[in-house]
Amino acid sequence: MYEEIQFPGQHEGETIILFLRRHWFIFFMRLLFIIVSVVVLVVIYYLFISLNSNFRESAYYNLLLFGESLATLFVWNFFFILWLDYYLDAWIVTNERIINIEQRGFFNREISELKLTKIQDVTSEIIGVIPTLLDYGNIYVQTAGEKERFAFCQIPHPNRVKNIIVQLQEKEEKEEEKELGEIIRGQ
Amino acid sequence: MLLISLVYLFLILVYLVIGAAIVFHMLYYKINRRVAAIMCLVYLGGGIFLLIFNISLFFSVNWYQIITNTGL
Repeated sequence: MYEEIQFPGQHEGETIILFLRRHWFIFFMRLLFIIVSVVVLVVIYYLFISLNSNFRESAYYNLLLFGESLATLFVWNFFFILWLDYYLDAWIVTNERIINIEQRGFFNREISELKLTKIQDVTSEIIGVIPTLLDYGNIYVQTAGEKERFAFCQIPHPNRVKNIIVQLQEKEEKEEEKELGEIIRGQ
Repeated sequence: MLLISLVYLFLILVYLVIGAAIVFHMLYYKINRRVAAIMCLVYLGGGIFLLIFNISLFFSVNWYQIITNTGL
């Protein structure tokens, strides 16, 4: 399912169980800014045309087009900055660990990981009307012996993801206990 | 006119620097190669088209008439 997905430091034989990004609604909310900008540009254009019937023949018409075109250039860039911010933020759950890849603007990237066996407690939360209707929220993973919490922010189906993480953690813990038992018996 | 050209050149340079950073992030931090390649092509295609269109509009504006009309 996730054969095309690659992440830095991927181990040999490590399989991706879940690949998560923020919910599409979060991206859509950011996209509203772009939509508003485009609407404003169109409104400005028609405002000038409607205010002066001879505007198309004046020297200022090309100036208006030039200004609108210049603004469109920067809106185009801004759209791709928003998309990159959405695309490069990811949470990956593999059969061994959880990886959090966070992109903060340009040239500020943070990658943290957590072994499944270190998980002590998993909490999911859905707060608000829209998150409840669209089923997205946060997951907090508490690690053993560390105060730091591992957070999955605004991901889709948090309760289902939480259950999968708990199941994986239990499976990994049992395997570790089995291996430990074999080592003790071997001695 | 020289001042306008310099300001315009500066804006285009800012646009190109941001564009280079976007392309770098798309290609260097690719998580899904296919998605990164498609989005990079879309970005470059649209970006180059918009840039050429904008430069042609810059030269089509009668700057002298606009400057003299506004009294600058």
